[in-house]
Amino acid sequence: MDALLKGLPLDYLAACDFQKTGKTWQAILPAASLVRAAERLLAADYFVEDISALDCVEGYVVTYHFAHFHKPGRVALRVIAPHDAPSVPSIAGIFQGAEWHERETRDFHGVVFQGNPNFIPLLIDPDMADCFPLRKDPKSRARMRDILEAGEVVHCGPGFGLMTPDAPAEAQASSQSEAAAGDKATA
Amino acid sequence: MTHSALPDQVAGDFYTNNFAKNAQEGSLILNLGPQHPSTHGVLRVVVEMDGEYILRAEPVLGYLHRMHEKMAEVKTAAQFIPNMGRVDYGHALGWNWAFVGAVEKLAGIEVPERAEYVRVITCELNRLASHLLWWGAYLLDLGAFTPIMYAFDDREKILDILQAPTGSRLTYSYFRIGGVAKDLNEDCLSRIRAFIPWMRERLPMYKDLVSDNIILRKRIEGIGVIEPEVCRRFGATGPVIRGSGIAYDVRRSDPYSVYPKLDFEIPTSDLMDARGRYDVRIAEFEQSLRIIEQCLDMMPEGDVLVKGAPKPSWKAPKGEAYFAVEGARGKIGVYLVSDGGKNLYRTKLRAPGFCNLSLFAEVSRGTILADAVAILGSLDLIIPEIDR
Repeated sequence: MDALLKGLPLDYLAACDFQKTGKTWQAILPAASLVRAAERLLAADYFVEDISALDCVEGYVVTYHFAHFHKPGRVALRVIAPHDAPSVPSIAGIFQGAEWHERETRDFHGVVFQGNPNFIPLLIDPDMADCFPLRKDPKSRARMRDILEAGEVVHCGPGFGLMTPDAPAEAQASSQSEAAAGDKATA
Repeated sequence: MTHSALPDQVAGDFYTNNFAKNAQEGSLILNLGPQHPSTHGVLRVVVEMDGEYILRAEPVLGYLHRMHEKMAEVKTAAQFIPNMGRVDYGHALGWNWAFVGAVEKLAGIEVPERAEYVRVITCELNRLASHLLWWGAYLLDLGAFTPIMYAFDDREKILDILQAPTGSRLTYSYFRIGGVAKDLNEDCLSRIRAFIPWMRERLPMYKDLVSDNIILRKRIEGIGVIEPEVCRRFGATGPVIRGSGIAYDVRRSDPYSVYPKLDFEIPTSDLMDARGRYDVRIAEFEQSLRIIEQCLDMMPEGDVLVKGAPKPSWKAPKGEAYFAVEGARGKIGVYLVSDGGKNLYRTKLRAPGFCNLSLFAEVSRGTILADAVAILGSLDLIIPEIDR
């Protein structure tokens, strides 16, 4: 997987134990790298299993699960979308099936997918589609490092401390603003 | 805009209007459903027609949306199991398994060996019932009334068998975190043993009566061709992708439970059309029977629920887990995140029918309306699962 994503700006890449977590790799990427990462996974014969968001202190963690028809395992790509203007680029142009998953994520968490060809409510009635039922209130949000498996770290970008338990507070703040900057660049 | 089929004085709803924006001059916008016998539940498809041909189609979902993922946030893990039977009433035990499997993975709970066999037997029986339901209903869609009578006769036998250990006939809530609720007793096992030859005897009749029937062949052969590459881009799984020639089955690709010990094949078809998907499901009847037969012989004695199995108040440990099983319609996946609190932090359900239906717009383009019904049925849709 590190060979597959080689040369892409990554925040975090870790090998995970499939027996324990159900995935073999996870990568946290800046929003600007997502489309290129998806293109590489398409070229390597992966398919999108599902797309979902997770409401954490750091933002909405949008998770893309990929699997392969001939290789066991699962790859998770993650992009952190800030709470105030959650937006990530759409990969529906690469994996057409992503269109519905992205619309569902919009319904549940209000994450905007820039470039989705038909970005209208999917499961929730259009009259009440702005209620975003899976958003959590700020008090009950958990930190990413507390709930997500860190895995065996292969690469960790400079200043990215969201997954390491002993990171100093200022490192977290800077990587958060980096993620936000990446979003603005693509929007 | 003005449109011949959508006059200004008739206001369509949000989805019709949104769809009609890109309509061609002189075409007809037609709503199939949400209440329509061929949609099995409340699926709606907006189609743009040129005469009898479909120019564009767009499924409209959400009529059966119950927000199971939100319900998971207000219940403990053990209390959420009954929801799983209601996600997909066709293959409820597949969903039972996906959820308890994810929790077991998260908490590192080992399941007793006998329970694994009980799970495989009941899950495969449920798969047979699901395929029988599809088979009968699909042929009904295509205008053949008799087969559903035979299919429901067989299916009734399975429901009778499963009702003893599970306590229900449709929306099963039988699996527990760490095993199953009740063992299969001698009476139940002997009924399963008697069912296998019964079902085997019926299959040749179904082939002669229905599968080789010229009217059916003309309705489904060459209809709804899906290339493997299209399947991959849309994330299709289950009989849909196996009908396009890819032998992808979670029971073999990411083996779980005792499936690696069992001898069975993954039927595929290179036809890629509705016929290919039909053939795959028909071939899976025999494979499920083989699996059940082997399990009955190999099943050890012992407990069916691990000692100290989680009670309703049990809290899942911190962490995340993804677990997938092969359901009757494809890959069922459950992704859990827990913060160690009373309820799960996030539960994401991956429904195979959701991805399989998403390619309908692509496949139906350029076909005639009657064939679109044949294509929809060949995808084997259970709407509650798609809408969740």
